Amino acid sequence: MALPIALRTSVIPQELELVACEQLVDIIPLVAMERTAFISGAYGPLRPPAKCKVPIWMAVNLKMKKKCHVVPPDWLNVEFLQDRLTRETSEPQFSELPFRFAEVAKVLLDVASDDFQNPDKLRSLLKDIREARQAKSREGLAKLDHSELSLPNLCALEINEIRPFFIRAMGVLTKLTKDPEGQQMAY
Amino acid sequence: MVYLPPPQFASASRPSYAEAYARILAAHRRSPLTSAASVILLVAPDVDSLCAASMLADLLKGDDVMHRIIPVSGHADLEQKRDELATYNDLHTLILLNMGAILDLPSEEWFGNFSPQLTVHVIDSSRPQNLSSLFGAGENGERIVIWDDGGAEGMQEDKKAWEVLTYEPEPDSDEDSDLDDEDEEPEEEEDEYEEGTSSGKRRSLGEGRASPKRRKVDRSNRISRDDRARYAARLEKHYMSGTWHGQSASGTIYILATVLERVDNDLLWLAILGLTYQYNTSRISREEYEKYQSIYHDEVARLNPPLPASAANDYDFRSQNPDDRSVYAADELRFMMFRHWNLYDAMYHSSYVAAKLGIWKEKGRKRLTGLLAKMGFSVIETQQPYPHMAKDLKQNLRHKLDQIAPEYGLVELSYPSFTRCYGWLSQPISACDAVEAIAALLDVAGGVRMEVEVEGARNGGEWFGGGKVWDAGGREGRRDDERENIPPGGEDASGARGKNGVDGGEDGENEESGELQWWVKNFWTAFDALNNVAQMREALPLSMSLHRAIIRQGSSIIDKHDIKTLRGHRVVVLTQGPDLDLFVHPGVLSRLALWLVEAMRDRVQAGVLPNGRKRKSLPFVVACLNEKAGTYIVVGVTAALDFGEVRKNEFGLAFLDAKERCNARTRHGTFDTSVIEINKDDLKVFLETLCEGGDR
Repeated sequence: MALPIALRTSVIPQELELVACEQLVDIIPLVAMERTAFISGAYGPLRPPAKCKVPIWMAVNLKMKKKCHVVPPDWLNVEFLQDRLTRETSEPQFSELPFRFAEVAKVLLDVASDDFQNPDKLRSLLKDIREARQAKSREGLAKLDHSELSLPNLCALEINEIRPFFIRAMGVLTKLTKDPEGQQMAY
Repeated sequence: MVYLPPPQFASASRPSYAEAYARILAAHRRSPLTSAASVILLVAPDVDSLCAASMLADLLKGDDVMHRIIPVSGHADLEQKRDELATYNDLHTLILLNMGAILDLPSEEWFGNFSPQLTVHVIDSSRPQNLSSLFGAGENGERIVIWDDGGAEGMQEDKKAWEVLTYEPEPDSDEDSDLDDEDEEPEEEEDEYEEGTSSGKRRSLGEGRASPKRRKVDRSNRISRDDRARYAARLEKHYMSGTWHGQSASGTIYILATVLERVDNDLLWLAILGLTYQYNTSRISREEYEKYQSIYHDEVARLNPPLPASAANDYDFRSQNPDDRSVYAADELRFMMFRHWNLYDAMYHSSYVAAKLGIWKEKGRKRLTGLLAKMGFSVIETQQPYPHMAKDLKQNLRHKLDQIAPEYGLVELSYPSFTRCYGWLSQPISACDAVEAIAALLDVAGGVRMEVEVEGARNGGEWFGGGKVWDAGGREGRRDDERENIPPGGEDASGARGKNGVDGGEDGENEESGELQWWVKNFWTAFDALNNVAQMREALPLSMSLHRAIIRQGSSIIDKHDIKTLRGHRVVVLTQGPDLDLFVHPGVLSRLALWLVEAMRDRVQAGVLPNGRKRKSLPFVVACLNEKAGTYIVVGVTAALDFGEVRKNEFGLAFLDAKERCNARTRHGTFDTSVIEINKDDLKVFLETLCEGGDR
């Protein structure tokens, strides 16, 4: 693959975005379309002005051609994110967020920011949430144990960030802890 | 039907824009060989057609139609492209933007020989339109579709005249055996009216004249000689009255989008730019501008949130949020880009103010400072760049101008126009500034060394070194790299480019193909900048230095009394000066001509023609020497005596006339018939023939 070496150890964020775009999102179509079969499944029919669930990649395509309006997912609004942010900053564990919230939010805000109420406020909230969680995951890494590490409610991008370091660190830790035991067993 | 009336005249039997568009889509979808070469847009290099191309590309992209955009610089270029296009098998739609209205398209010379699946759509703002393209019927004629703005409705008489003359070419001579005479006569008459059309131009381009196709009609339907003469005279009047402009191409596409119900702010903004361009370059009169402007004003109100009350008072728009891309209607002052300059410079460089105050003299400059002082602006304040000017001064500016400017004769200082916000990316940009930026990119983004001012460098600012050479970043930077990679063998970079370039016209040298390349690059730079506000902003300093150069040259011309009057025509010949290679470009030279016209408007009395008729127009001819090519570029402008009016530009025909009579070697480089390139030695004779023959 034509990635620089540093990026080959894990999935890059753009790939994660692509994976996240398979999720379904609500749209209000502006054109009509019959139920059509795509590789990943059959979607439609699109009957304006009724809402319809389509994958995000299709919603993005239609939106770029100005053929639909995107309905924001229920978690992508100011109140929900504000609530999660306060939880992040007050509690030591990670708050619950949709698994691929960062990718979905990025894609939708880029393409369909006019369909949101307050896109710049959303962007700043998302940034704050990310920073709070990043601080927590850094602390969590300091407490790495060789046997298990449970980080509940971590999201796809964050897992991806930690993964290379985590794997190597766990490997080294396992070796370190195995050896003393090995020595003991040898006796 | 070969001309499309605008949708308000459309009915079931008369298709209009939407149906033509639907036909394009249908042809695209059902053709088995769909490729990017099946729909081709040929675009002329001016701001209006750039906007129209961008809008049309958007619409086509929305319908998933693959298309290609090809820039074309002039008639000669169009012929070359046409030959190339003849080889494309899967071409089924050709759209000409701002070109081709004057050409006889159904004839064999142009598109008569193309395959029957091809449809040619012509969306052109220039008038007059060729009657055989408009009214030609039959299989050949059906393929040419001209998108009209309603002007053709009023041409029923011309239509009748044309039909009579084309389809019934036999005169009423009694002798059947006098075939020779009969053949000659109608041919002469057809020549008369065709002289103004493409065949006249074809002659001037050095090619043979194609004999018009004729049909032998039943002899019993003969028209009397008087009728023929009448019809011929009518056609002659249609073609000979000069060139003018109708609805802008981008306006036409906007109407299409309205009918398709796919308008949005971006399309509206581009349509506004096209209209502003037409008004700023004196292609349409103030009345017509206001007509379209009011339509767009309603559209703006429909598509955009209303202006917040605070902004309405101080004309100082600010984006409400970072994603704000709305368009607001605002009155625009006639100062050249005054939001990006300091106030003094803006007034100095605007042709309207310059004319009224006489800026090129020291006295005039003092009057300007005097005017500013009366309004309460000190000299230091007026030298401040506009964004740094004191807030209360900005707010009072309009007020004071309305009060005090009329004393100096500056009455029509503002006109209604539009501004667009770009969120927090940039300051809101007004329509005329955007047009100036794009036009500057088209003219001089590359190919000429332009120095732009670095902000803050004036009056001994922090950075010494007053300017830097402008470069478009991206594309131009790559060209510099090429030059650095010259292998020690000494292969010339221009030689390398010449190999890659298209075989140019008669001159076919390396320089020619190098030149072709730069204007294409400029075209694409400008095209990109239409939608990219960062690039557009970068182009503003370029436009300012262009204006500075124009003013410099214009003032020196007026100072040195370089304007000669030859029988009512004002003629200026530029043979030297610091910016000579800048004025070799027809676009820049036309701007200089327009500036001079504005400046001289009040100082010139209406000329009286030899036969006693009072001339209502002001013909102006500017010629500039191109040392490298050994030619002169000549631009002719027919301006009206009143501000805000336009007159039909008769120079296209006058040039052809004069060229015939004195056998000069000339070339038309652009689509504008009033711009001509003429061999160095023939200039003097040409100018004399022009002026003596030009009186009508």
